[in-house]
Amino acid sequence: MADPNTKFLVVDDFSTMRRIVRNLLKELGYSNVEEAEDGADGLAKLKAGGFDFVVSDWNMPNMDGLTMLQQIRADANLSKIPVLMVTAEAKKENIIAAAQAGANGYVVKPFTAATLDEKLSKIFEKMEKAGA
Amino acid sequence: MNPAIEEHLATNLYFDRTFNSEAAKILPGEYYYTAKPMLIVTVLGSCVAACIRDRVSGIGGMNHFMLPDGGGDPGSPTSASMRYGAYAMEVLINQLLKAGARRENFEAKVFGGGNVLRGFTAINVGERNARFVREFLRAENIRIVAEDMNDIHPRKVYFFPQTGKVLVKKLRQLNNYTLVKREQVYAHQLQNNAVAGDVDLF
Repeated sequence: MADPNTKFLVVDDFSTMRRIVRNLLKELGYSNVEEAEDGADGLAKLKAGGFDFVVSDWNMPNMDGLTMLQQIRADANLSKIPVLMVTAEAKKENIIAAAQAGANGYVVKPFTAATLDEKLSKIFEKMEKAGA
Repeated sequence: MNPAIEEHLATNLYFDRTFNSEAAKILPGEYYYTAKPMLIVTVLGSCVAACIRDRVSGIGGMNHFMLPDGGGDPGSPTSASMRYGAYAMEVLINQLLKAGARRENFEAKVFGGGNVLRGFTAINVGERNARFVREFLRAENIRIVAEDMNDIHPRKVYFFPQTGKVLVKKLRQLNNYTLVKREQVYAHQLQNNAVAGDVDLF
């Protein structure tokens, strides 16, 4: 497990889903979690600073998760922040688009704490290697 | 690995002579949505169906699901029940939004959750499904404008998304064996398959 103080931003337009992800993260030992209800809200919160990790849905009103990801990667201050896409979209073209936009991982709903844990560990591992 | 649980778009389309309308019939684990003047029909036992529509544009759809009995505390926000239920609702709502519906215009009618499997299971599966769908819609601020849930009878539900009209027929006399059987098979699939997506990439 990485630093338990890692600050997460969970972006999803369903409050039920945000609650599920928040609780799964808590089960994994991460309780420093804030929420945003769409991509625009998420991006504004990220720009205000302080976040270490983004877990985002794809389909959302105002700004979808893919657009938010692209804006994150285009912003010099945010471009390095890891983004895990968590979505109900299981189509190959969605997964490819997310990878091309610079997503660090992709999880298809409905997922388990174990899957989330595995993806997070993988991402933290890669970051450590890149940093070393 | 077990095959993943996935919600499917209904494929059973037909022309309904009674209502002189194009129609889609949905089965457990399926959903259907449309912007056209047509009807969506399903038969519910202990499963629930949410009929959700944009009351301005008339784009609407219906799902049909039950919560898996995944052990642990089914009320916990991370239980298989909650994760699958939320997923089943999200899939339908996402499709409606993609088709052009607006969230602020949503209204819902909810049906099913009958205690038709009594004798087969110790807990009242129907009641649990009904409670979930009510709580989900409340949490998401989607107004329930009509409901007919619980009781002991299976229901046949016709939903006309364009107008929002719903016709519910309680099936009191019918031989319900096929329905009970179908729900049991569905419940069994939910129990044996992982409540998890099966795509594992990068």
